[in-house]
Amino acid sequence: MTKLLLRRLGQGVLVIFVLETITFFLVRMLPGNPFLGERKLPQHVMEQLNALYGLNQSGIVQYFNYWKGILLQGDFGPSLVREGLQVSQIIAEAFPVSLALGVVGMLIAIIIGIPAGMLSACYRNRWPDTAIMLPAMLGICIPAFVVGPVFGKTLGTLPGLSVAGWDSALCIVLPALTLGLINAAYLARLTRGGMLEVLSQEYIRTARAKGASGPRVMFIHALRSGLLPAVSYLGPAFAALITGSFVVETCFQVPGMGLHFVNATTDRDYFLIQGLVLCYGILIVVANLVVDLVLVALNPRLRSQGAA
Amino acid sequence: MQKTPYQQGNSLWKDARQRLYRNRAAMAALCFMVLMVLACFVLPLFPCIANPNATNLDNIAAPCSWAHPFGTDQLGRDLLARVLYGGRISLLVGMVATMVALIIGLVYGLISGYIGGKTDALMMRTVDVLFALPFIVLVIVFSLSIEEPGRELTENLIILTGWSRESIAPIMGLVPLFIAIGALGWLTLARIVRTQTLEIKSQEYIQAARSLGLGHLRILFRHIAPNLMGTVVVYTTLAVPGIMLTESTLSFIGLGVKAPNSSWGTLIKEGADRMEVTPELLLFPALFFCLTLLALNFLGDGLRDAIDPKSAKD
Repeated sequence: MTKLLLRRLGQGVLVIFVLETITFFLVRMLPGNPFLGERKLPQHVMEQLNALYGLNQSGIVQYFNYWKGILLQGDFGPSLVREGLQVSQIIAEAFPVSLALGVVGMLIAIIIGIPAGMLSACYRNRWPDTAIMLPAMLGICIPAFVVGPVFGKTLGTLPGLSVAGWDSALCIVLPALTLGLINAAYLARLTRGGMLEVLSQEYIRTARAKGASGPRVMFIHALRSGLLPAVSYLGPAFAALITGSFVVETCFQVPGMGLHFVNATTDRDYFLIQGLVLCYGILIVVANLVVDLVLVALNPRLRSQGAA
Repeated sequence: MQKTPYQQGNSLWKDARQRLYRNRAAMAALCFMVLMVLACFVLPLFPCIANPNATNLDNIAAPCSWAHPFGTDQLGRDLLARVLYGGRISLLVGMVATMVALIIGLVYGLISGYIGGKTDALMMRTVDVLFALPFIVLVIVFSLSIEEPGRELTENLIILTGWSRESIAPIMGLVPLFIAIGALGWLTLARIVRTQTLEIKSQEYIQAARSLGLGHLRILFRHIAPNLMGTVVVYTTLAVPGIMLTESTLSFIGLGVKAPNSSWGTLIKEGADRMEVTPELLLFPALFFCLTLLALNFLGDGLRDAIDPKSAKD
């Protein structure tokens, strides 16, 4: 168990390192530079700016300086476009927004998706199955950038709900609903598939033969392993949600990490992109680690194998 | 006693085809996709479809009519033509990027599974690491960073071949997107191909081929690869909607297909901005896009049930 955890942790560190390295060199290959603002800066000003932020050094030197700053001083560098702001400040401001949105969205997804998938598996190939799986298929095929504006148009007119911004508590409703419903569709399909696979196993037949009631078989015997596919999906999906969903945050103008990422990429704000990607990498590694732990807890067979 | 007439056995593909024909949802999806491809690639060749870039400022945001079946947009361009031309780009990106992903994934998975041992372990750990990377983040950064080399390539091509800029620049503008999405979308396929290769490798007919003294390449491509085509076809079909979704997501946030090209993603973006006034601008591109994804998913599921009945989870 400890061995598995340590191996996963080692792999996680490697993932973060590779991700950050790729990002570092790719963003510097992007055409353009962060100082191409509205008005064109004279050459000597540009040079001074580059020197100020150390961008005139060679890529390798910059790369080592960047890691040195992070590891020794916990310094993610300054934002190159939004003057006077540190990357860590921007992330500290945006992360709670994305976190709140992600948590609420995920809760909606779980509350709708998992019971729907279970119900669907119970009534396999009968009308409740079709009635659930058809909308679920639609939910997969209708992208967030269609659902978002449609919700904004139809529900946004309701009193109190806002279609853009983040200034009142109700602003969270529409973006979270968009995120939640789309993920609920995936979850429902995964739960149904997982449950169907489990329900065809011998031990379920044994449980039935011994007289266990329908709900008891469903919740006590089957649910535990039937949830495995859904849990494996939830980890990375949750990490993706709390680090900001580009589309939903763009649609509803939510000042979260996703919106910052898109803007930072178009503005070529090198340090901000790197900081956001690093943040994302850490979260996804942690989420995967948690998923591994939950999977082991749910599935005793994984314990003896020592690999998930 | 009556003599049983000799009956020819069905090949794997014939069986699969029959199973697919019986699957009504998959057949409907197949017909739909054929129609959609024809509509996007062939229909615009006829003069009944307007020029998608011809603006007409006297006829802005017109409702549906005979002249403009889907109405016109904020610049008076015919929406039907724009949706069909946008579909061209979306389908093209979906197909070409999937092909790129398919080739990389197939070769990588075959090699990893066939060589086995330490090489296999190393190659698969690499895939594990790449899997954990945030896909869309990398696609964004990668596609933007190869834009400049792509532009240089276009210029060189124009000089070398003498093709006109108008004919080649729009297609070349898509190349970074093809490469970026394809180069990062092969991971799942590599894993599946590798698992299958491992399984096939241990079969007796491969041992027979080896004992006959066939070379590794011949065994790989003549004996192993054809036997995993079924799985590959299924997962390639299922990968297309995901890749199209990636493309349109990028286009929606303004980092994918760029002017002068437009895809369903960019049309949906434009439509979403003007939804208050003219909902048709969102409705039609979104409808075409969602139906295509739906059809591709049904087709993929149908193919999976037909080709690989064991793995069918219903």
